[in-house]
Order: sequence, then C-alpha cells, then structure tokens
Amino acid sequence: MFQLFVFNHINLVGFITPFIYLIIFIHYKTSYNKTTLIFLGFIVGIIVDLSMQTYGSHTFATITICYLRTWIEKYSFGVNSNLPSAMINGTQLINRLTFFGLIIFIHSLIYYSLVFFNIELFWTIILNIIINSIITFIVIWLISKLISNK
Amino acid sequence: MQSIINSIVTNRNLIIYLTLSIISFNSLYTNSSVHYNGIGKIATYLSGKSSFFSSSIDSYFNLKEKNKKLIDENLKLKEIELEYKNQIVENKSFNSISIINANVIFNSINKSKNIMVIDKGTNGGVDEEMGVISSKGVIGIIKSVTENYASIISLLNTDLKVNAILKNSSTIGSITWDGLNPKILKLNDIPLSSSIKIGDTIVTGGMSFYFTKGIPIGTISNYDNSSLEGYYEIDISVFNDFSSISNIYVIERTDNDEIKILLND
Repeated sequence: MFQLFVFNHINLVGFITPFIYLIIFIHYKTSYNKTTLIFLGFIVGIIVDLSMQTYGSHTFATITICYLRTWIEKYSFGVNSNLPSAMINGTQLINRLTFFGLIIFIHSLIYYSLVFFNIELFWTIILNIIINSIITFIVIWLISKLISNK
Repeated sequence: MQSIINSIVTNRNLIIYLTLSIISFNSLYTNSSVHYNGIGKIATYLSGKSSFFSSSIDSYFNLKEKNKKLIDENLKLKEIELEYKNQIVENKSFNSISIINANVIFNSINKSKNIMVIDKGTNGGVDEEMGVISSKGVIGIIKSVTENYASIISLLNTDLKVNAILKNSSTIGSITWDGLNPKILKLNDIPLSSSIKIGDTIVTGGMSFYFTKGIPIGTISNYDNSSLEGYYEIDISVFNDFSSISNIYVIERTDNDEIKILLND
C-alpha cells in the first residue's frame, strides 16, 4: 500500500493528480467491520493530507467514502450484495463500473468542494471533479485488471 | 442510562464518523487561511441573523434612554459642524471622508478578544478594514463583512493596535488593551522626554488607513515613568462605555486607494 504514495505525486497536464489510494477502499473485503474501515480511512486520509499539505480535505472525503460504502455497494450490486471476496471477477461489468465510478466520483466531489471552498469557483470545481474522476477511474481500472490477472 | 449507552453502541459508526469529520475540519480551519476566512464569513452571518431578532426586542424597551442619548449626540454634532464650517473658512478640504450609520446588534466586553456585530454590510457600503467610531470616540475596525452584517474588532481586543497622539503635543504612540479592565487602555511608545499630565486627551493620529486625525479615544488617568526602557507606561481612561454602545458610525476614507498606490510604489 505504501508504494501508492509515489503515484500521488504524479502531476498530469500540470494540475491533475490521480488518487490511486482509493484502490484500497474499492478492493477491501466485503464482510468487514464498518468501524475498522472508518478508522482505516481516517488514518490513510491523514497520511495523504500531511504529505500533500491539504490539511484535512482528503481525510473528510475518505471517511465519507468509508461511511457510505455499504450503501454504494447495495446500489451498484443490487440484491447480490453478498459477494465472494474475489469481487472483481464474479460480478457483471456494469455493476463493477457503477461501484468504482460512484466511489471515485463522490470522493472527488467532496474533496474539490472542500479544497476550493468558494461558490464562485463552481465551474472550476466541476471541471476538476470530472477530469480527475475520469483519469482516476481509468488508472484504477487498469491496476485492477493487472491485479486480477496475477 | 442503559438506553443512552445502547443508543451510542447502535449508532457508533455515525458517531465515530461525525467525530472524525469534526477533527479533520478543525485541522483544515486552523491551518488554511482560505477556509478560516470562509468559515469566519459563515460565523458572522449566523451570529448576525441570530442576534438581530433579540436586539430588536431589546431596543424597543430602551427607547426613552436612546432618545436622551440622541439629543446629547445631536448637541455634540452641532459642535463638530460649527468647527467644520470654521475650518472651511480657513480653506482646508474635508472631501476624503464619508460616514455610514449602523446599529450594534451583538457586543461583548468580558473576553480578551471582544467582537461586535452591526446590522449593515456590503449592501450598506460597509467594507473590510474600515474604522468604526461612536459619538464619544473610537470603537474599533471592521473585521469581516457579509451582505447585511459586519463584525468589528473592538478596542477591547488584545489583537488591536490603534495609532494615537497626545492632543496638545502630537507625540505619536499606539493604543492596546491588556485584557483586564474594560475601562482602561494602555498607551505605548511615548518617550520619557515628552511631558504629559493626568487629564491630557488622547486622539487618533491619522497615520493609518482606518481613522482620520483627531477622533477622541480617552484621557490619561495614570502614568508610570519609572520604566528602564525609556518610555512611559500610561493608563488611558476610555471615553466610550463599551458595555452600552448601540449606535455607531463607519468611516470610509475615500483617499485610501490613492495612498495605497503611493505605498506600493
């Protein structure tokens, strides 16, 4: 997990940093203790925050993702929420897409709203959210493929 | 008791989530000035809204007192008007000041950093860093502004320093508050070589962007010349009674932009 730190310092096109550390929360085991997940999210969020000097934006976005993960799972996977731990292979593509996409999108939404904190920069925020979500989604998808093929 | 513990255990995830989010917001607030100012604006707005209603009820019951104060204030304004006309005859120009009237809806004097809130904001022409006075003298400086409310750092705030001079001798010093007595301020930077006596009036020096020259602050009530650093330690008895301020004036110096251009060069 710590090697994901390196990816956080990549700057594509000058202003986009894909948030690879979200892969931890996407691939976390499905039968989990929610309290543990929130604390894990808090610790990971704090470490990323301190290394990127953003003082709390990552932390809040990450713990919100952990808290909402149950509902996102239920929404993406429907009735089949009792999943095996090899979640990557045993489900339909559209469900996986929704799950990944929702987690990344909600995280970017909260993170960029907090970082800019100004309603007048609304379109800048939306632009950043969309571009960052798409790029993070592509990178995480590729890495998931690599892990599942191992 | 048991049911409280049961409900905490049932909702533990929500409580943990809220606690951790408060911690992360706190670190964001203290470490980033963008978020500090943003939250400061929200706080000003909320305290303005909540104090407005209670202050309007209060002011109805104080009408008789208010009328008497208004009559006194009018007399003083008449004096100032006559002085002003006097100075026009002597060819001095006073076009660089405009004054906005406002009411205080929230006040405190018992903390070390006291803040007041008034019921005029950007819609009334009030902007950040304007000086605030009452009919008796200096009140403070505007700190943050929303559309209809503004917050003021009052003189009873250990963070505020106001430029001041002795009325008769023009020796320049600065006024601060040490947080102890709401009727006594401290005048600093007056060297032992200047002559002062108890009862001398202290006015603003006009050397800052906030106040013009000559606005009264207080009188010298006590001084100590035994310091080894070469300056007096002076106690100023302030003219304003900060516990009962209701009507204030916000000063805008329209020549500020011109002065700032010169300073930036």
